[in-house]
Amino acid sequence: MRAKTFKGGIHPKEYKELSNQCPITPAFPASKTVTIPVTMGGAPNQPLVKVGDEVAKGQIIASGEGFMNCPVHSSVSGKVKKIQNCLITGNGMAPCIIIEADDAGRETLLPVLNPFETTKEQALARIKEAGIVGMGGASFPAHVKLNPPADKIIDYVLINAAECEPYLTCDERTMLEQPAKVIDGLAIVMHIINGGKDGQGHAKGIIVLEDNKEYILPALENEIAAAGYADKMSVCLVKTKYPQGAEKFIVSAATGREIPSAKLPADAGCVICNVGSICSISDAFRLGMPLIERSLTISGGAVEKPVNLRVPVGTIVSDLMPSCFTLKSEGASEPVKIISGGPMMGFAMASADFPVAKGTSGVTFLTEKETFLEEESQCISCGSCVAKCAMRLSPALIVRELKAGNIEKAKSFGLMDCIECGCCAFVCPAKVNLIQRIRLGKGIVRQKMAEEKTKAAAKAAAEKAEGGK
Amino acid sequence: MSNKIHVSSSPHFNLKCNTTMIMGTVLFALLPEIIMGIVLFRWAALIRILISVASCVCFEYIFQKVTKQKVVIGNLSACVTGVMMALVSPPTAPVWIFVVGAAVAMIVAKGLFGGIGSNVFNPALTGRAFMFLSFPAAMGASWLTPKTISAVDAISSATTLSAMKAGTFAVEQGTYWQYFIGNRAGCIGETSTLLILISFAFLALAHIIDWRAPVAMVGTVAICSCITGENVAMALMTGGLMFGATFMVTDYATAPLTKKGRLIFGFGCGLITFLIRRLGGYPEGVMFSILIMNSVAPFLNNLTARKYGYGKKAGRPADAKEVK
Repeated sequence: MRAKTFKGGIHPKEYKELSNQCPITPAFPASKTVTIPVTMGGAPNQPLVKVGDEVAKGQIIASGEGFMNCPVHSSVSGKVKKIQNCLITGNGMAPCIIIEADDAGRETLLPVLNPFETTKEQALARIKEAGIVGMGGASFPAHVKLNPPADKIIDYVLINAAECEPYLTCDERTMLEQPAKVIDGLAIVMHIINGGKDGQGHAKGIIVLEDNKEYILPALENEIAAAGYADKMSVCLVKTKYPQGAEKFIVSAATGREIPSAKLPADAGCVICNVGSICSISDAFRLGMPLIERSLTISGGAVEKPVNLRVPVGTIVSDLMPSCFTLKSEGASEPVKIISGGPMMGFAMASADFPVAKGTSGVTFLTEKETFLEEESQCISCGSCVAKCAMRLSPALIVRELKAGNIEKAKSFGLMDCIECGCCAFVCPAKVNLIQRIRLGKGIVRQKMAEEKTKAAAKAAAEKAEGGK
Repeated sequence: MSNKIHVSSSPHFNLKCNTTMIMGTVLFALLPEIIMGIVLFRWAALIRILISVASCVCFEYIFQKVTKQKVVIGNLSACVTGVMMALVSPPTAPVWIFVVGAAVAMIVAKGLFGGIGSNVFNPALTGRAFMFLSFPAAMGASWLTPKTISAVDAISSATTLSAMKAGTFAVEQGTYWQYFIGNRAGCIGETSTLLILISFAFLALAHIIDWRAPVAMVGTVAICSCITGENVAMALMTGGLMFGATFMVTDYATAPLTKKGRLIFGFGCGLITFLIRRLGGYPEGVMFSILIMNSVAPFLNNLTARKYGYGKKAGRPADAKEVK
C-alpha cells in the first residue's frame, strides 16, 4: 500500500520508542484527590455541587443549559472539598471542583444502550450526556461535531490515528490494545452520521494511520473483517510527517479534498474523530460510562521511565510522582520545560501541578538538550518557513508585514489561515518567533473584528431608535 | 526538580540548524572555488581573498559598534560576503580596492538597510559594482595569465565575451574542456564551471539553496543564446554566469522567498544578462542583471502559492454523489 501525504510539513525526531512499548496501565493519584475543571470544552459550565456534598463516580457535577455546553462528571466516588480557581493547561486559572475520594465506591453510570437501535437524536443525546469532547487537544463537544448542518452531505468519517506529535503514544497503544473498541466506536459514529436507525446516509469510515504505526494495520483490518464492516470501513496509510494529525491534512491526505478556508470539515464532506474520543463513544453506549478517565503518555528526556497511563480526569500530574513515574535529577537531564501535550503544539506549564483534563493527551518533560531556549535573531529571509508551511502560507512575509503594521497585507499572505502548527518556527535558522508573532497578529485582527461588530450593532440600534420616534 | 522551568509558547522543538551553520556551509561550498583561484593565480588570489574577508568583517564590526547594535560578526555572513566579493573580482585588481569595496558592501549595501536579511541589494555585488564603475581601469584592464593546471596551456585570453560580442571568437579543439574545468583566465573564483556545478549540487542537496532561481537563470540564458544562434556552451561557461547563478541569485535576503517568485527572479536575471551581453555596452551582464532584479525582488514576493483551502480543490466536489 502506498502511503498518501500532503505538501509541506516537517520531520521532527519522533521519540515514540521511549513509550510505545509501554502498555496503558491504570493509575490513581497518590493524594486520592482530583481537581476537575468545571469546563472542559464547549460553553462555560456552572458547578452543580456544593462544598461538602458527597458525589458518586459518574455523577454530573457541572453543566450548562446551552447547546454548546458539555457536562462534566465526577471521576471518583468522594466528597467535594473545595471549589476554587486552579492552574489548568494553558497557564490560566479556571474554576475547578476538588473532590477527595473515599472508599465507598458509589457509582452512577448511564444505562447501557444499543447504539444501532437508536435514532440520531437519541444517540447524540447520549453522547452529550456522557460529556464526550474531542480528546486530541481541542476539546470540541462531540455532540456538536457529530451533528453537522442538514445541508452538508457527509461522505467520510475519518479517524485521526496519525498522532503526529513527537513522544505521544497513547493513541498508538489504544489501537494496539483495543482494536475492537476503535472499530465499534467508528461504527457508532457512522451510524449517527448516516442518520441513525432509519438513516439514508452513505458515509464510509476511514482510519488514517501514519506509516510509523504500520504494524498495527493488520490488526485493524482483521478487526474490520471480523466485525463484518469490510465494505464500509478501511484503513488509509499516510506518510509520517508533522502536522499530519491536523484535521485539514487528515482530510487532504485521505480524500484529496481540502477544507475551504474558514470552514469546517463538514464543508468537505468529512467528519473527523480522535482515537480516544471514538473509544469513549463506544464506552458511553456499551458500558454507560461517561468520559471520566483518559489515557495519556508521560514522556520526555527528563522522565526516568516514560509510561502510558489511564487516569481519572482531574488527576494532578505531580500526584502521579513518584508512584507512576519519576524525573531525572542530575544536571543536564533535569527538565527545563513541562509541556501539557506534545512539544510541537503543547502548552509549556510553570509547574506539574495541573490537572489532566479531557483533552490532555500527554505530558512531556523536556531537557535543555531536547528543547531550545535560544534568543530570537534577525530573519535572514531564507524562505525555509515558506517551503515547509503545510498551509502554503508565507510566514516570514506575514511577520514582516505585521511588524510594519500592514494587517491587510499580512492577511493576504495568509495570517488568518494559519493553523499554528509551528512548522515555520521549527525550521527557522534565525529562531524568529514566527508562530508566536502570528498568534499576536491574529489576536489583533479578531479584536478589531469584535470592535467593528459592536460598533455596527450600536449603530443599528441607534438607527432603529431614531426610526421609532 | 530543577528550579528553572521555562515557559514559552509552542513549538518547543526546533531544528538544530542556525544562521551561523548556514553561513558556514556556504563558506564550505565556496572552498573548491577558493582553492581553484589560488591554484590558478597563486599569491595574487590568496592575498585578495584575505584582504576582502578581513575588511568586510572589520567594517561590519565597526558599523555595528558605531550604531550601537548587537555585534553579530560571529554569524559568518560578513565572511561570506568577503569571500564572494574577492571571487568575482579579477586577480589583477589593486589590493586597496577591496577595502573600498568592502566598505560599500558592508556599510552602504548592508548595514544602512538594517543588516543581515534586510538588505535590498546583494552586498558583494554592490561592492563589486562600486569597484567596477569607480575604477574601471583598475578592474578590467589587464588579466593575469593563469598558472597551468594541465598539460595543455591555459587559455589566457580573458576577453572571450568581448570577442564573442565582436564576432571574432574562434573555438579550437579542447577549448570547451579547458573552459569546463576552468583552466583559463578570469575572475578569481569564476573560472571553473565544473567546480561551481559541484558547489551548486552540494548546496541544493543540503537544502541551503533553492534550485529554482539558478536553473531559471541559466536556462533562460541558454534558451536565448540558442534562439539567436550563439554558441550556447560558451555563453554558459564564460563570464560569471555560473558563479552568479549559484551564489548570488540564491542570496537569501535579496531574492524572493516564494517559489514562484524565485522562478521569475531567475528568469529576469537570465534575460537581462543575455540582453546586456548581446546589446549592452558591457561584455558581461551578470552583475547588473542580478542587481536590477534585486530591486524587483520584494514585489516578486507577492507571487505566492495557492493557499490551502482556496480554489478548486477546496470543499466537497460538486459531482461527488455516492462514495463507492
